[in-house]
Amino acid sequence: MLDTVREVHTPEGVALRLPAAGPVPRALAWAIDLAIRLTLLSVCSAIFGALGEGGMGLYLVMLFLVFWAYPIVCEGLFNGQTPGKRVLDLRVVSSDGAPVGWLAACVRNLMRTVDMLPFGYACGLVSSLADPWGRRLGDIVAGTLVVHAPRVQAQPLVPGAEVAAPRVALRPAEQAAVVAFAERAPRLTPERQAELADIAEPLTGLRGADGVVALQGIANWLLGRR
Amino acid sequence: MRQEHFIARHQAEWQAFDAWLDARGGRPRRARADRDWRGMDDSAVPAAYRRLTQQLGLARRRGYSPQLVERLQALVQRGHDVMYRPPPPRWRRSVEFLLADFPRLVRAERGAMAAALLMFALPLVLSYVAVQVRPELIHTLFEPVQLAQMEAMYDPAASKLGRDSGEDLQMFGFYVMNNVSIGLRSFASGLLAGIGPVLVLGMNGVMIGGMASHLQGVGLGDPFWRFVAGHGAFELTAIVIAGGAGLRLGLGVLAPGRRRRVDALVEGGRRGARLALGVFAMLVVAAFIEAFWSSIGWIPAAVKFGVGGALWLLVLLWLWRGGRDRHAA
Repeated sequence: MLDTVREVHTPEGVALRLPAAGPVPRALAWAIDLAIRLTLLSVCSAIFGALGEGGMGLYLVMLFLVFWAYPIVCEGLFNGQTPGKRVLDLRVVSSDGAPVGWLAACVRNLMRTVDMLPFGYACGLVSSLADPWGRRLGDIVAGTLVVHAPRVQAQPLVPGAEVAAPRVALRPAEQAAVVAFAERAPRLTPERQAELADIAEPLTGLRGADGVVALQGIANWLLGRR
Repeated sequence: MRQEHFIARHQAEWQAFDAWLDARGGRPRRARADRDWRGMDDSAVPAAYRRLTQQLGLARRRGYSPQLVERLQALVQRGHDVMYRPPPPRWRRSVEFLLADFPRLVRAERGAMAAALLMFALPLVLSYVAVQVRPELIHTLFEPVQLAQMEAMYDPAASKLGRDSGEDLQMFGFYVMNNVSIGLRSFASGLLAGIGPVLVLGMNGVMIGGMASHLQGVGLGDPFWRFVAGHGAFELTAIVIAGGAGLRLGLGVLAPGRRRRVDALVEGGRRGARLALGVFAMLVVAAFIEAFWSSIGWIPAAVKFGVGGALWLLVLLWLWRGGRDRHAA
């Protein structure tokens, strides 16, 4: 229950880690989608309203499409991301980590009927709180899950041009700590930077501002800029 | 092997794979059309992906730096997405689906369909007979205002049958929104242990039976039957099929058999969704007939009933024989 990451073993024998998304970001994504749908409908009602009673029929067809087809088509076309999910970096994937298919997108969105019951997605909320991977009922039936899918971004350049190899080989956790320090340093005060870098004195042999620069050099080396 | 040597040995291949993903991974159709691609050959990609997974495993096992492992992991994830993505929908298949696959699917679920038919037809017949025998029973089903509205809809003097007002197109939109939503909901609500479709089927049966009986009783039978003869074939069968799909889904909750409950549900959901696609098509056709054909008031009863009978024959023949020869081949 605490570990919401689903590990999936691919046929090639490596584990993919799927970080499942909880109800709050999903509700936010849904709210953004709702705003988009309402905007779409109000634009349509303005256009079709000018066409008289026949326009009313077209508007009702549009209402049907926005209500039922919008999430299915978005998830099918844009690799499991409705616009709201894209804003919040969420993605629907199949429970084996593969991209979601059209049929699964149909199932999970048709099942919203049940998740909405008795009001305000209460069933879906209970289900996603009880499920280890935060799936609502529709996800369970469709065999899908919503994961955090942050956009891949280029690793930020660590300030300080120099590159220095560490004097001793670092263990993986230590390497991660050094890189994390270098990435976060620009957002800290110089005093705090120095304070943190002092902890690594056995590695750098320096204290204060010099230690910070030396540590950033090591981070650059670790990130492969050499 | 030291990490530097490992990177130096495989770096070029990782970059080539990355470039291939960027250029050709996203849109296969566009990629096939583009013949000027000079990078990694498409046919070499699966092997490159498998080598990459092996290298990721090695990097993890040998405790290489987290940055390298993360980079390989991201590449593997992207490669996995491309290798295991579902095939794109082929729109040409949709005709085949409607003509052959859908009727076959309906026949494969004949047990659920028969149950749904029973749950719909039995209340319908019972309420029809009940209102014929004791006409005052109709007041337990409908308010007096609704009854007056209904009688006005089938006023033989009106030019349009089956509606108070409104253009054909407006009513088409209304029927699509209303009827298709009911169809899709009666499938989806099957997840509640099948209670949803039982309610939808039963209530619709009682309402339709009572209404028909009442209109027949007050002497408006002729316009009513002329109205429903056309679209009934598609609409009533579609509601029964949607209910059957819902019952099938509910059966997965109640009696999963020798499977895990979740597996039974996934299977029921997959079949049900395909049935729902067909139901959607049927109900759109029904809405079209209802809006543009059934409502025409001046067409004589013989023509209406002739067309209605032909449509019933067509639908039943389609569901009974559709895709049969293909199955044998």
